[in-house]
Amino acid sequence: MTAEPAKLDVSLQEHEEKQEWWWIAEKKRSKRLDYLRKAVWKKGALGGNYAPGIKVDLEGPKLFTDMWKWWKFDPIIMRRAKALAHVFDNIPIFITDHSQLVGYWGSAPHTISWRVDGASIVNEELYNEPGIMPEPEEESLRKVAEINDYWAGQTAVDKVARILDPEDAVKFLSGAIGWGAPTSAYGYSGKNYEYYLKGERGFEDIIADIEDHIAEAEEKTIGVPGPDILHIYDRIQNWEAMILVLEAAIRFAKRYARLARTMAEHLETDEKRKEELLRIAETCERVPAKAPRNLQESFQMDLLIQTMSRFEASEGAWPARPDYYHGPFYEKDVLQDKSLTEEEATDLIGEFMIRAYEVGGFGPRWAREGMQGITGTWVWTIGGVKPDGSDACNALTTAFLRTARLIRVSNPTFAFRWHPKVSDEVMRECFECIRHGLGYPSFRNDPILVANCMNWHGHPVEEARTWVHQACMSPCPTTKNGVQPFRMASATANCAKMVEYALHNGYDHVVGMQMGPQTGDARTFTDFEQLFDAWTQQMQWLLSLLVRTVNLGRYKDPEFYGRPFLSGITERAVERGIDAVSPEGERGNCWITAFTWVENADSLAAVKKLVFDDKKYTMDQLITALETNWDGYEQMRLDFVNKAPKWGNDDDYVDDIMLRCLRTMAKHSKVMRCTSNNTWPAAPQNVSGNIHYSSVVGALPNGRRLGDALYDGGISPGPGLDKKGPTAVLKSCGKIDHVADGRAFLLNQRLSPTQMAGEKGYQLWRAYMRTWADLGLDHIQFNMVSDKTLRAAQKDPEKYQEVIVRVAGYSAHFVDISRKTQDNIIQRTIQGI
Amino acid sequence: MKCPECSYEAPVPEFRYLYNVRIDAPLTLRQCPQCQAWLSVDELAGESTGKVEAGDAPWGKSAGIERDLEEAV
Repeated sequence: MTAEPAKLDVSLQEHEEKQEWWWIAEKKRSKRLDYLRKAVWKKGALGGNYAPGIKVDLEGPKLFTDMWKWWKFDPIIMRRAKALAHVFDNIPIFITDHSQLVGYWGSAPHTISWRVDGASIVNEELYNEPGIMPEPEEESLRKVAEINDYWAGQTAVDKVARILDPEDAVKFLSGAIGWGAPTSAYGYSGKNYEYYLKGERGFEDIIADIEDHIAEAEEKTIGVPGPDILHIYDRIQNWEAMILVLEAAIRFAKRYARLARTMAEHLETDEKRKEELLRIAETCERVPAKAPRNLQESFQMDLLIQTMSRFEASEGAWPARPDYYHGPFYEKDVLQDKSLTEEEATDLIGEFMIRAYEVGGFGPRWAREGMQGITGTWVWTIGGVKPDGSDACNALTTAFLRTARLIRVSNPTFAFRWHPKVSDEVMRECFECIRHGLGYPSFRNDPILVANCMNWHGHPVEEARTWVHQACMSPCPTTKNGVQPFRMASATANCAKMVEYALHNGYDHVVGMQMGPQTGDARTFTDFEQLFDAWTQQMQWLLSLLVRTVNLGRYKDPEFYGRPFLSGITERAVERGIDAVSPEGERGNCWITAFTWVENADSLAAVKKLVFDDKKYTMDQLITALETNWDGYEQMRLDFVNKAPKWGNDDDYVDDIMLRCLRTMAKHSKVMRCTSNNTWPAAPQNVSGNIHYSSVVGALPNGRRLGDALYDGGISPGPGLDKKGPTAVLKSCGKIDHVADGRAFLLNQRLSPTQMAGEKGYQLWRAYMRTWADLGLDHIQFNMVSDKTLRAAQKDPEKYQEVIVRVAGYSAHFVDISRKTQDNIIQRTIQGI
Repeated sequence: MKCPECSYEAPVPEFRYLYNVRIDAPLTLRQCPQCQAWLSVDELAGESTGKVEAGDAPWGKSAGIERDLEEAV
């Protein structure tokens, strides 16, 4: 299929005038991209439910479990390697029509994968999830029940839960204070791109290195006896597991090569497509066994590695820097050798993104509600600087931005590392993506975040400059010692509980149990300092509990789970013969995701103002109103909303409380230590946890009731509460020290598509962005879709399937998110700049 | 409060609380326990202001400038 565009019927200008960017995309993209974009199955949950037709893949789980049972006497790392190899060798594979890239995490395009050995509670949830069992349903349910019976009690989470402090475990599993799981079976895997994605080595090279390490180690094991050689036996096992799985990975790619060649030689009648299939075959014979030589091979190697990593663990993030690592191949193929036209390259780039969008695994309901519309946070980092500090933007940076507007997927999204040397051409391409309503790229202030990496974790500057988003927001280098191999998501805090517990003596009225420490009956508090002291104790307790789960998870993971494939692509693990998740030799790059954060500042400020300063209400009245969820206290509730200062209006009264909270938390972040003895800074942001926790967080003094959405961003003002304009928002946020006060701070802003039209709109936005940079904020992202369009999409979703919005650290198709989330987005203030 | 859709009458708290889109306004969404209709409710007055369908916006437009700009265009 050629790269010529589809035919036009209605003029592009007409669509542009109506800001119907999705129709423009459909008309401008090639026939191939149009087909591939429409042929893909939507795996993200709609609100909290999977789309009709999506089925759980039972082939992979069965293959994995069968081989796991067979090798029951092997060490866990070898068992996993052998079971994984069995999946690579036997899972059904397919090649999508018109595609040029291959690899999928499942046995058929409509399937979502299932991690059987992660958590029994997730397995039970899968059994009970309606609509996702392949037909015949009864037979599928029987298979699932058999698999669940086998894994019950021996999944990674089962094992960790047994050794957690029982009280910690109950409180964590209540779901009130955090989410995630302390295991590398689920979460955010870092990638050591500097090791394997620079076009310098393939898996055969890594295997050769490992064989040398084994030979050297074996020499030692037959040498002088002593305690210093005992650890080597474990390392040899790890190395052997890595080889076993890397060899299987090469065979997995070659299965695709064989399928493509068979289709070309025996099934395909179109000559052009035959050539494409043979190119797929050559590509998969080459990578990942050997280093890539061109753009297609580079994309294919990256895609296969991401796919195979997911067969090993349910990786919920896709950290990437595609322009930086694939850019040299783009420049060689398109600009120097001219072996690819720009249009042909666009097809490859677009398909690379579509193949990522296609990936999906089964997630429990809290994860589906917390990340509505997507299956994980594929936040791809673009732009930035090279290790020497020079501009890293290249021709592929702009090619990715242009292609994103053509294919309009909500996952992956881009996060752009802005720095003072970025060209106007690149900024215009970024702005066009926002103006087309994609909600991305988000903007990250590179000099600030490089300094942040150095401040919190001691990364040397050259290492810090390689950073990518490990999930939505947090920067992580891609180097041997700098990369965090796995970020376990159970250090995700529902921070609104800090102020809620401070007001209720640590008791949680929603889940009905004593959660935090007993910090005193708030009805008896006579000044603000007593309340703040209670808040501090609740904050320290909550964060410490969550961090303990991750530290324990990281420490025990090589024993309880084991990641031979991830280890095989991680230089530190290859060099030392350790499991990649082991902290040995890792600098440490932990962070706490701080959900529902801003409610603390607004609530504390409201109590200080109306109770302790103005004495309009008593603590007793306030606690009574909160306990009744403000029912019967509407005027009082409105006073707490409208007569107390709110964050985001450049008002020092509340802004000082925000800074005090952040700095008190930052102090504790340095007290808590990770498995590498490094710090635990917090990153306030929400994904769509602000909706998930709306039915978990009780009434608060900022005026919200149990059931109301929480604020959407990490430092975004409450929707509609930022009444002093966009500069006041930036000035409030600029009071935060974005290097020392925490890890990263998410700021959502909504702009008017009408005001942002044309060159004038671009110039206004550039001026706004200069203020953002001057004030030293580390992040900002924009929605630029009108109320009118969003309300029309609510009324008639079929007609607006392609409207995309920025939710929090990610984008989603508007029709895929719940009504409550939709309303929350619509009610964000549209800033005039 | 009386449901404008099915005329069911009960105290406001018996209508299931859904959420409040605008925290700074007294208008909330509640659900009628009899006909399941989504209702907008004025919490100060203790009355429903009507049934809410997909795409309806009883709270009016978002805060900010969009309304002014659209009117100007």
